[in-house]
Amino acid sequence: MVETFNALLHGFAVALTPMNLLWGFIGVTVGTAVGVLPGVGPALTVAMLLPLTAKLDPTGALIMFAGIYYGAMFGGSTTTILLNTPGESASIATALEGNKMAKRGRAGPALATAAIGSFVAGSIATALLTLLAPLVVEIALKFGPAEYFALMVFAFTTVAAVLGSSTSRGLASLFLGLLFGLVGIDGQTGAPRFAFGVPELLDGIDVVVLAVGLFAVGEALYMAAYTSRLPETMEKLSGSLMMSKEDWKRSWPAWLRATAIGFPFGTIPAGGAEIPTFLSYAVEKKLTRYPEEFGKGAIEGVAGPEAANNASATGVLVPLLTLGIPTSATAAILLGAFQNYGIQPGPLLFQSQADLVWGLIASLYVGNVLLLILNLPLVGIWVKVLQITRPLLYAGILVFATLGAYSLHQSWIDLLTLYVFGLLGFAMRRWDIPVAPAVIGLILGPLAETQFRRALSISQGDATVFLTQPISATFLAVTALLLIVPWVLRRRRRAAT
Amino acid sequence: MRRSAAEIALSAGVLGVGAFATVVTAQLSGEGGYAGIGPNFIPAVVAAGLLVVGAWLLWEALAGGWRNRGAPDEGAEHPFDAQAFWWITAGLFAHMALIGWAGFVIAGVVLFACVARGFGSARVLRDAAIGLVLSLAVFVFFVKLLNVNLPAGWLQPLLGSAGI
Repeated sequence: MVETFNALLHGFAVALTPMNLLWGFIGVTVGTAVGVLPGVGPALTVAMLLPLTAKLDPTGALIMFAGIYYGAMFGGSTTTILLNTPGESASIATALEGNKMAKRGRAGPALATAAIGSFVAGSIATALLTLLAPLVVEIALKFGPAEYFALMVFAFTTVAAVLGSSTSRGLASLFLGLLFGLVGIDGQTGAPRFAFGVPELLDGIDVVVLAVGLFAVGEALYMAAYTSRLPETMEKLSGSLMMSKEDWKRSWPAWLRATAIGFPFGTIPAGGAEIPTFLSYAVEKKLTRYPEEFGKGAIEGVAGPEAANNASATGVLVPLLTLGIPTSATAAILLGAFQNYGIQPGPLLFQSQADLVWGLIASLYVGNVLLLILNLPLVGIWVKVLQITRPLLYAGILVFATLGAYSLHQSWIDLLTLYVFGLLGFAMRRWDIPVAPAVIGLILGPLAETQFRRALSISQGDATVFLTQPISATFLAVTALLLIVPWVLRRRRRAAT
Repeated sequence: MRRSAAEIALSAGVLGVGAFATVVTAQLSGEGGYAGIGPNFIPAVVAAGLLVVGAWLLWEALAGGWRNRGAPDEGAEHPFDAQAFWWITAGLFAHMALIGWAGFVIAGVVLFACVARGFGSARVLRDAAIGLVLSLAVFVFFVKLLNVNLPAGWLQPLLGSAGI
């Protein structure tokens, strides 16, 4: 406990140096500005800005990325409320009541409860992260390759098969991601795989190309082909931003409940913030004393999901930093940012790179304060960003998307790969195939393979090692249950009717 | 019974990728050292997974359509606009062809104008002008400030030798 506190204090010393403070500030500002753009969620924001870090030192760059991650989420809520175009699935719950509030001329209080709620939830969740991370690290230090592999299989299964609307489509996305992850030089033997002699492919497929292709190019193709002839509507930001006494009274319990829901969901591999935001929405709808307002713009329906979104986004950092396991698409891209510096997050990171980790955690506290300032008094600036028309918006997005891919090897091959992933993203968007499992598969797949082969090397090729180690066996058993139980239940229900 | 040609085609696509991965995997080495499995083991698992999931999707598509596919909201989509789709595609391929030769800025202008056109903008010259300002700003920022290499191309005499 005392140790944790000292480590955090040391982290603040790192985060509050003028240069790192500046990187944090740039991060939250750019994150908000890009996150506000309709159709641009946190995952795409982080992926598009990843090439920027090529020349920065790791601590500053990662502090900037944490800022971009948080900023994109704050910015996204502004878009959701005023434009009713959620940039990502985690914002859909906010759109339900938020846009209705804006339509009734209450955009100000809706934005305020979203921003303050995000701040409250983010700060509490960061405190929980601070307390929880050292405990998880202690457990994780006991993990060997077999345990890591079992944990990764568990993460793959929950993200791809258990959550989401369809197990088959989730698994299709996951296996495609795993296949992309195999491209390049095999880390253990140096043998090239799926590279076909193309030098650009020997390096492997960069997470930037996959994420930007799926999210930016895919989204642009989809929006142009299926929505470009529809009219655009935006709610006006009129009246005061101030929340009334009544608004406060109705908001703060929702913030706290949502934090309690969002944070745990973030820490387990549950595919990001979609489930906790909807859960929080359902809880608020059930507990409210004004049920008649739901569906017409109830403030609890904005306060809860927004707070849950931020709490879960912070919770995601627990497995990312302590175990090196990304549980959402955005976290997978953040892991890519670490890998660009040759840093592998995990329990050892807390010992070998204590400055970096604790500086990063401390910067989250700072970032939350900066974002509250950026998003409340200055919200008018971001509303102006929303007025960019769609032709110019998507043209600009694609200029940046191609820039990111091209800067990897200065080669048009990467641009062709980007377009192929764009076509895939277009199909996935149109025919409801989840994207997150593919991104997680690409990043986590090679790590899982390494652990798998390492575990078998240690056991001299004895495959029962995964079942004889208690922790590994437990993870695999839970994974099997998660796959079998829903199927059995469905069978029974069908048999009963 | 609802049957969608797109669903059948996409399912077949997953199957096809699986078959392709199987063929490639067959040529990989199985030499494994202490672990007893080589660089071909996980590719074989992934290829098998793609084949199984592809067959599963194809079965769903033929037997009543993919399960639980969220229908788009009323009025959220219009029918497929092929022209818009091909403008974006044309912009990206023109950009691919131009960037190494004419340079980042010119490729950016063409891409910007094509995409804006695809989204229904009729003011080509204005779009090109905005694209020029944006691409130039990005070029200067990345090349001069961040030392990222971007090709100057035909504008080399104007932009100096900072680019390749």
